[in-house]
Amino acid sequence: MLQRDAFIEEITKELEKDKSIYFLSADFGAAALDDLRKKFPNNFLHCGISEQAMLDIASGLALEGNKVFVYAMAPFISLRSIEQTKCGAGLMNLPICILSVGIGFGYADAGPTHYSTEDFACFRSIIGTTIYTPSDVTQTKFVANEILKKPKFSYVRLDRDFLPEINPKTTLVDFKKGYKIFGDKDDKKIALISHGKMIHKCLELFNKNPKKFICVDIFRSKPFPEDLPKEISMCKGLVVVDEQGPSGNLSSCIFEGFSNQSYYPKIVSQSLPEKYVFENGGREYLLNKFGLSTNDILNAAKKIV
Amino acid sequence: MKKINDLEQLAKKYRRDLFEKFLLIKQGHPGSIFSMMEIVVSLYHGGFVRFDNEKKSFLDKVLISKGHATAALYPILKDFGVLPLEEWDNWGHKKSLLRVFGNNSIPGIDITSGSLGHCVGAGAGMAIHYKRNKKDTNVFVIISEGELYEGSTWEALLFAKHNNLDNLNIIIDINSLIILGTTKDCLNLDPIKNKIEGLGIQTLEVDGHNLNNLISTLQSLNKITGPKCIVAKTIKGKGSSIMENKKHWHYWNSMSEEEIEKTRKELK
Repeated sequence: MLQRDAFIEEITKELEKDKSIYFLSADFGAAALDDLRKKFPNNFLHCGISEQAMLDIASGLALEGNKVFVYAMAPFISLRSIEQTKCGAGLMNLPICILSVGIGFGYADAGPTHYSTEDFACFRSIIGTTIYTPSDVTQTKFVANEILKKPKFSYVRLDRDFLPEINPKTTLVDFKKGYKIFGDKDDKKIALISHGKMIHKCLELFNKNPKKFICVDIFRSKPFPEDLPKEISMCKGLVVVDEQGPSGNLSSCIFEGFSNQSYYPKIVSQSLPEKYVFENGGREYLLNKFGLSTNDILNAAKKIV
Repeated sequence: MKKINDLEQLAKKYRRDLFEKFLLIKQGHPGSIFSMMEIVVSLYHGGFVRFDNEKKSFLDKVLISKGHATAALYPILKDFGVLPLEEWDNWGHKKSLLRVFGNNSIPGIDITSGSLGHCVGAGAGMAIHYKRNKKDTNVFVIISEGELYEGSTWEALLFAKHNNLDNLNIIIDINSLIILGTTKDCLNLDPIKNKIEGLGIQTLEVDGHNLNNLISTLQSLNKITGPKCIVAKTIKGKGSSIMENKKHWHYWNSMSEEEIEKTRKELK
């Protein structure tokens, strides 16, 4: 199951008992959305290919006490309408959940207009956001239910592709903490930290070499999980892997989260380069070519002496 | 409803009251506020924005999309008893909730605004909520003509028309000036009425300072189906010869004692 279908299925279930939920789309679909629209046409709004107006309409609905979900392709619902997000959900602290699908190179080979390699940095900078980057369907459902239970200004970064289940499964206790650690920590190990699709590459390396690495899946990056710095501070260093550009990605988030608690570990950032990518060849090809192959991550770990 | 003459006197009084506040705080947007004074007086004191006297709250919504002019509502909200008198009195003297730009923490202000081009969309969101919940609440959105430069305004108008939002009323304050000059010279918007009617939204033209005209136009809105638009021709800085039709009076400017006295006399 795709993350988007998992998330929308949870909303559809909740709509059975809560009619104050509105789902807005800027002409972006999903199999599960077809079902939601059929069952609850009064709670669905097609806003046209108009992300900016969609966020303003969402503000109006939220000001009247509704729980609002806005949904579109990641590059457009993040950057195109970011000022509407700031002025509505941000300034008025409205319960609007932004569902952003196709982060990173998700829309390979559409090219850089359709890549979402800046959204994390941009949304981190908006005051009051809660940011989730789930790595599988289990986590996605936890995110959906948390927001449905307690609506808030949130930015949910979903992958376009199918992502396998994290093993062992994320529990509700893990989810509440905002991260999950794989492996036994000690001062000889390097922590590979990531979220979303890239955590699966990190886990592959960890599973091959559990004596060298631990792995941290950080599915809620804002507010920063306050227990994390203390929990992994004994590690030899941190390699932070993110399918984002080099500025303001997950490594910045980790540095700020740690330094705010006076922890200053060695951090290596492994991200995409400072360039727009026009090549074609599929997502794996692009990741491998532009710094996010498993070998690139291993080489990044070697920088920690 | 009050008599037209009373409404005219109220508009003048509010301009005077706000002018004294501008003098105190040495900032604000008198040009844009004075251009829409009769519009908001007709909405509130003309009974189009209905008031629940027991709950001391309004039954309809007003979104000032040109957020730099939200202060036009403060003396009105004070007179209705929605805004505590002490907040008005304290403004410019000591701690008060009131700000140059409005925000929804101020009693009676329905939205935080300032950045242009947001409130037709937000108003459409509110209007569709009321429509789908079968409530008779009306939503009035006042925008500046400058907001017609924002694409989001047109996106939201399309949405409003498609969803046949009968309860959404958009009033455009056409004072013909933006910061660098006239809209005609900077980037022509005309013909505004035709452009909005081209979307299928019925649009009425009105003299934005003529209360008779404003009241009769607002009364005619309920005969129109779908979202409605009023194009109100106004004068930036209306009421003060020093400010009228002067682009630099978008913002507050320092005034000599003579200018202050002259303006006070003109606003009487």
